Amino acid sequence: MKPKIGIYGLTGCAGDQLNILNCEDELLKLFDIFEIKSFVMASRAADESVELDVAFVEGSVSTAKDLEDLLAIRKKSKILVAIGHCAIYGGVQAMFMGKEEWIERYQKVYGKQDAVTLTAPLEPKPLSAYVKVDAALPGCPIEKEPFLKLAGMLIHGVVPKNPDYPVCAECRWKENECLLLKGEICLGPLTNSGCGAICPSHNTGCIGCWGPIAEENYAAEIKLLIDKGYDLDAVIKRFSIFGGTERAEKLRKFLEKEGRK
Amino acid sequence: MNKKIVIEPMARVEGHGGIEVVIEDNQVKDVTVDIFEGPRLIEQVTVGKTPDEAVSITSRICAICYISHRFADIRAHERALKIKPGEKTKLLRKLAHYGEMIESHSLHYYLLALPDFLGYPDAITMTGRFPEEVAGGLELKKFGNRVMEIVGGRRIHGENMRIGGFGKLPSEEDLEWIKEKALMLIPTIERGINLWKELEIPDYLEEETIFVSVLPEDGTFGFVADTIVVSTGEKYDAEEYEKVTNERVVPHSFAKRCRYKGKPYTVGALARLINIGDRLDGMAGEYFRKLYNDRWKRNPFYNNIAQAIEILYCLEKIPSLVDKIKSTPYKEAKSGKDSGEGTGLVEAPRGLLIHHYKIEKGLVKYANYIAPTTQNLDDMEKYIRNAAEKLLEKKIQDMELPLEMIMRAYDPCISCSVHMVKIIRK
Repeated sequence: MKPKIGIYGLTGCAGDQLNILNCEDELLKLFDIFEIKSFVMASRAADESVELDVAFVEGSVSTAKDLEDLLAIRKKSKILVAIGHCAIYGGVQAMFMGKEEWIERYQKVYGKQDAVTLTAPLEPKPLSAYVKVDAALPGCPIEKEPFLKLAGMLIHGVVPKNPDYPVCAECRWKENECLLLKGEICLGPLTNSGCGAICPSHNTGCIGCWGPIAEENYAAEIKLLIDKGYDLDAVIKRFSIFGGTERAEKLRKFLEKEGRK
Repeated sequence: MNKKIVIEPMARVEGHGGIEVVIEDNQVKDVTVDIFEGPRLIEQVTVGKTPDEAVSITSRICAICYISHRFADIRAHERALKIKPGEKTKLLRKLAHYGEMIESHSLHYYLLALPDFLGYPDAITMTGRFPEEVAGGLELKKFGNRVMEIVGGRRIHGENMRIGGFGKLPSEEDLEWIKEKALMLIPTIERGINLWKELEIPDYLEEETIFVSVLPEDGTFGFVADTIVVSTGEKYDAEEYEKVTNERVVPHSFAKRCRYKGKPYTVGALARLINIGDRLDGMAGEYFRKLYNDRWKRNPFYNNIAQAIEILYCLEKIPSLVDKIKSTPYKEAKSGKDSGEGTGLVEAPRGLLIHHYKIEKGLVKYANYIAPTTQNLDDMEKYIRNAAEKLLEKKIQDMELPLEMIMRAYDPCISCSVHMVKIIRK
C-alpha cells in the first residue's frame, strides 16, 4: 500500500510547499509513490478524515487556528515532519527584539489588540512548542534534494537525523575564502548546513536562514565580531533575525550576564 | 431560503484564505473573503535593522515573488539613500524579474487556473487528457526558476541581488543558456495562449472596475517605474502611494484592505494590460490585440490570459536583454548617505508592490509594505457577490466552484497580503 501523506502550511511564506512543487522533474513521480491526501496549495481534492503515515508541516504557529490545525494533524499522523525555518525555529516573525514585546509590535501594525476578530493571534512559535516533532528538515526554504532524500528514506520507514555540522564545512568544500577573516559578519559557524554555503559562494555573509545548529558557540562568535570592531547591538540584531525562539532565550541570558538588557 | 456557503480552505492558492457567503431569504446578504494567515508583523521586525538586513527579511514575505519583494525593497533603500544603481545591475535585475514573472505566471496559469476551466481538481489529474499542456507549464516554470537561481542566487530567497549591485555575476555560459532556452519556449506559450481561445469564459460576474499599475516613464511596457497610473486617468508619484491605497483594517482578515477614492480596484497582469497593454510590441502585442475585447474591463477571469501574454512578452524580451547584459560593464554603486526616505515600486506577478522606508543613521526607522493581494481583496469580494447574486437568480445551487474560481483568477497570494499565511475554517 502507498504511504498516505499530507502537506500543510501554517503561518509563513509558503516557500517550503512551493519548493516541493518546484520538484518539476520528480513531481509526477512523487504523486505516484505517495498517496497524497491533502496538499491544498496544489489540489482541491483533500481528505482530512484519514490517518496519515507522514505529515509535512511548514510555518509557525501564529494564531489559535494554526494551533487547532496543528493539534489535529498531530493526532492523525504517525510521523510529523517540521519543514523549513518557521516550523522548526519560528521564522523571522519569531525573532528576538529585546524589550519590544510582541503585543506592542502587533498593536503598531493593526492599531489595537482586538482589531481582527477572525481568530486570536498568538506570538509566533515553532511546532515543537506545542507538539512532538519526529523529524525536521531545515531551510528557508527547504531545498529540493534534501526533501527528496528524506521522502525516500521515509518510504522505507527510516526517520533520518540531519547533519550536525555547520555551513562552514560546506564552505570549505567549495574552497571559498573565509568572509569572517575578511572582517564581514558571517553566521556560517552557527548555522545548519545543507544549503551548500550558497551565500558565501556569492560573496555574501551567511545570514543564518537554515537556523542555529544544535550546539552553536554563539558566545565565541560574538566575541570574535566585537574584536573585529563590530558593535554588540549590531551583532545581537544580526544573530536574532533567523535565531528563532530558542536562540532568543540564549541571547536574552547573554545580555543579562553582560549587564545589558 | 437561508444558507451559508463556506469555502475553506481555498485550494490552489499560495497561502490560505476562505470565502464566506451568507444567503438569507434568497438574497445574498454578506460576502467576505476571510484571511486566516497569522500575522507576522514584518513592518515591525525590520525596524532597527540595517537596510541590507531589511532586504533579507522582506524577501521572506513571499516565496513565490521573493524577487519582486527584494527588488521593491532595494529600490526603496536606494531612493532613500540616493544610490544610483549601474546599468548592468539594472539589466540583471530586469532579467531576474522576468524569470519570476515566467515562473509565477506559468505555475498559476497552467497548474492552478486551467484545471478549473477544463474540469479537473488539479493539474496532476489534468495530465491524462492534456499531457503536453501540463508538461509545457512545468517546463516554463522550471525555466523561470532556473533564471531566478542563476541571477538571484536561489529559486526561493536567494541573496545575490543586493542594494547597489550583485554578490556574484552570472557566467556567460549561463546567460547564453537562458537566451537559447527562452527562444525555444516561445512555441510552448503560444500553444498555451491558443488553448484559452477554446474556453468559455463565464459572464455571471461582470462589472467595470478600476485598474492600477505602474507607468514606465520611457513609454514602453514594463514592470518597474516610479509612477503609479489609475485607469481613470490620474497619475501619482511613488511617494504619493497612500493616495491610491488608503489601507484599513477589517475584522475578518489579518490582511489589510485598500480602496481608491472609496472604490475597490484591481492590480495584476490584467490591470497592466488594460493600463499599458497598448505599449506591447512583438508577438505579445499581436496576441493582445487579437484577444482583447471590452469584457476584459469587466471580468477578472481575463487575468489568466493576461498572465499568459506576459509570459510571452518576457520570453521575447530575454534574448536582446541578455545580449545587452553581456556587453555592459559592471560597477557597484555606493552611497555616502546614511539617512533618508524612499518608496520603491515594482510590479510583482500579482500586481503593484510598494515598499516604503525611513532610514536614520543607517538603521530602519519606519517601514511599510503594501502587497498586491491586499489591494485586490475588496474587488474579489465585489465580484464574488456579483456572481453569487447571478447564480442565485439562475437557481444554480452548486456555486462553490464558480466562486472559488473568481478568487483564484486573482492568483491571490495570501502570504503576501497578510505578510503571513494560513487558512481553513469552522
